[in-house]
Amino acid sequence: MGRFLQFTLMRAVMAIFTLLTVSLIVFTLMELVPGSCAERYLAFKNTQGAQISIDDIQAEERRLGLDRPFAVRWVSWVSNVMFRGEFGDSCILRLDINQLLGDKFWISLMICLAALIAAYLIAIPVGIISASSKNAFANNSLRFVSYLGLALPNFLLALIIMLISTVFFGDSLTGLFSKEYRDAAWSMAKFWDFLSRAWLPIFILGWSATAFALQTVRALMLDENGKLYVTAASARGIGGWTLLWRYPARHALGPVINSLGFDLNRIFNELPIIALILTLTEAGALLIEALARSNDQQLAGAIIFLLTATIVVLNFVTDILLALMDPRVRRGMMG
Amino acid sequence: MMSATTANSKDLAKAAKLKEEYFTASQGQLIWARFKGNRSAMIALWALIIMISMGIFAPFLSPYDPTIAGRDSEYENGAPQIPKFWDENGFSVRPFIYTSTRERSIQTNFRWVTTIDREERRYVEFFVEGWEYSLIDIAWDLPGDLLDVNVKTLTFDTHLFGVAKGGIHLFGTDSSGKDIFGRTLHAIWTSLAVGTLGVLISFVLALIIGGAAGYFGGWIDSSLQMLTDAIRTVPPIPLFMALAAFMPDSWSSETRFFFISIILGLIGWPTLARRIRTHLLTERSQEYVLAAELCGASSGHVIRKHLLPSFTSYIIVDLMISFPYMVRSETALSFIGLGLKDPVNSLGSMMQNVSQADVLLNYQWYFIPVVFFVALVLAFVFVGDGLRDAADPYSSVKK
Repeated sequence: MGRFLQFTLMRAVMAIFTLLTVSLIVFTLMELVPGSCAERYLAFKNTQGAQISIDDIQAEERRLGLDRPFAVRWVSWVSNVMFRGEFGDSCILRLDINQLLGDKFWISLMICLAALIAAYLIAIPVGIISASSKNAFANNSLRFVSYLGLALPNFLLALIIMLISTVFFGDSLTGLFSKEYRDAAWSMAKFWDFLSRAWLPIFILGWSATAFALQTVRALMLDENGKLYVTAASARGIGGWTLLWRYPARHALGPVINSLGFDLNRIFNELPIIALILTLTEAGALLIEALARSNDQQLAGAIIFLLTATIVVLNFVTDILLALMDPRVRRGMMG
Repeated sequence: MMSATTANSKDLAKAAKLKEEYFTASQGQLIWARFKGNRSAMIALWALIIMISMGIFAPFLSPYDPTIAGRDSEYENGAPQIPKFWDENGFSVRPFIYTSTRERSIQTNFRWVTTIDREERRYVEFFVEGWEYSLIDIAWDLPGDLLDVNVKTLTFDTHLFGVAKGGIHLFGTDSSGKDIFGRTLHAIWTSLAVGTLGVLISFVLALIIGGAAGYFGGWIDSSLQMLTDAIRTVPPIPLFMALAAFMPDSWSSETRFFFISIILGLIGWPTLARRIRTHLLTERSQEYVLAAELCGASSGHVIRKHLLPSFTSYIIVDLMISFPYMVRSETALSFIGLGLKDPVNSLGSMMQNVSQADVLLNYQWYFIPVVFFVALVLAFVFVGDGLRDAADPYSSVKK
C-alpha cells in the first residue's frame, strides 16, 4: 500500500508539473498574438470617437500590469488561476471571465465526453471483431462505416444533416436550447431539451472519433491476438467472446484507457468548427470567436487552460486506475 | 507408375522451392506477399495509385488552367458536361458534348438561362494544345531576397483532351467559370504535397525525439516524455490560430503553403514519437541487441544495423496512417479560413465553397471534390490498415 501511495504521489507531482508546462505554452501562445490587451481596448474606444495617444496606451498597460516582465506576468496569471480560480477580465468585453463562461465550458465538456464514450462503445467491439473475425465482408463493411466518419468532413456532415432536417422536419436542429429554455435555470426539462439537440454534435464528433479509436483498438488487438497465452487459453477450450474478452482484450485495452485524455483533446479540437455551423453557444464557439475574431487573449487562454487542466486530471485518474488494476504499470513507473 | 513418381517428386521440389523462397524472402517481400492477399487493401491501393497519378499528371489531364486565367466566362456556374457516344441523332465513335448557350433577356425574366442545343455536337479531341504548363516551375517568394528561387523548364502545352470550340467541363464550373475538373486534380496534388511535407517534418522530429527517449531511457526518456505529453495536451486549433496570426496577408500562396505544412508537421509528431519510443524500448532489451553489444558494436552500429531495420515496417505503417489526419487538418484549417485561400486549389479551400446554401440547392456539382476527398482519406486508411496487418509478424499464422 505504501508503494501505491508513493506511486500516486509521484503521478500527482508529475501532473502538476505538466499542467505548469502547459500553462506556460498556453500563456506564451497568447502573448504571441499580435497586439496587447491594452491596445485592443483602446482601439475599441477609438472607434467610439475618443482620441487615443501613445500615453493613453502606456497608462492602460501600466494599469493592467502589462509592463511587467513576461515571467512575472505568467506567475501571477497561473497563481491567480490555480489558487483562486480567477481568470481575470476579458480583454474586449471587460467582463469577468468566470461570469462570461458560466456553464458553457461544462456543456462543451459534456458533449465531448459523450462523443468519446460513444466512439469507444462502437470502436471496442468493432475493433475486436475486425482483429479476430474471419468474415471478410462483415469486417470490411464495419470498418468502412467507421472510417467514413473520418473521411466525411465534419462540417459537411453537419450541413447535410441540417439541410435534411430543415427540408423534412422543418427544424434546423441548430443551437443548444429551444427558445423557452435559453435563459432558464437548469432543470430536468431543460436537460431533456438540451439532449434533444445535443445529440447531433455528439453524433458527428463521435463518428469522426470512432475511426481513430478503431484503428488503435484494432492495432492493439492484432498485436495481442497471435501471442502464446491466447493460444494456450484456446487450447484449454475457452472460445468465442469469452476468450477474446478475458485474454487479449484485457491487455490490449490498457493503452486505450491510458490515452483517453488525449482523445478528449482531439475531440474538443473538432468542436469549434461544428459549433460554428450548428451555432452552438458553448465554449468551442466562444474559443473560436475569441481567437479568430476578437483576439481576446484572456478569454481564449482561460478556455484552453480549463481544457488542458481537464485532460491532465483525466490522465492522472486513468493512470491511477490502470495502476490499481495492473501491477506491471506500477512497477514500470517506479523504475 | 513411373510418371506418377516423377510428378510427385516435381511437386515436392516445387514445395521445397516455395519453402526456400519463404524462408529466404526479405521482410519487404514477405510484407508484400501478405498485403497482396488482402483484397480490400489492394482495392484501396489501386484507388490511391490512380488518385496520386491524377494529382501528378494534373496539368496534362486538365484541359484548362485551374487559376482565374483559365476561366470560361461563357459558362459560369455551369453544370457538368458529360461526353456521350450516342443519342437520338445516332451513334458516334468519337465522344461528343452538346453546345450550350446562355441568354438573359426580357423573355427569361432577366435571369441567366442556359439552353442546350442537342443538334449541334462538339466532338472531343485528344492530345490537343492548350494552356502552357511547366513540369519544373519553382517560383518561391520566401521572406528574404536570398531565398527566392525562380526556375521554369520543361514547358509543355499538350493536354489529354479538349474540344475545338467553347469549353468542356467534365465536373462543371464554379462561380467565376473555373473548371472544377482541373481544380480538383490540382487540389489533390496540393493536399498530397501538404500532407507529405507535414508527415516528413513530423517524422523527422518523431524519429529524433522518440528515438532518443527510447534508446537512452532513464532521465532523458522521462523528461522527453513529459514534454511530449505537454504538447499533446494543448489543443491544436488554438496553436494553429496563434501561429496563423503570424501569417501576414501579404504572403504569397506558396509561402502560406509551406508555412501550413510546417505547422502541421510541428504539431503532428508526438503520437509518432511515442510509438517509436515504445517500440525501441521493447526492442532494446531483446537478446540480439545484447549480443551485438557484447560483441563490441558501437551504439551507432546497433541503431543502424539492428534497431532501425527492426521497425522500418512499423514506421512505414505509421506514416501511412498519419497521412489522412494531415490531409484532414489541412482541410479543416482551410475551412475556418486560416489555411490555404481560394486562388490555391486545395481540397480544403474547395470544400469551403460547398457550405453555402446556394450551392447545396442549385450547384450540386461543387460537391465533386468532396467525393475525391472522401475517397482519398478512405484509401489511405485502408492501405494503412492493410500494411499494418501485413507488417505484423504474428498475422502470418492466419494466412
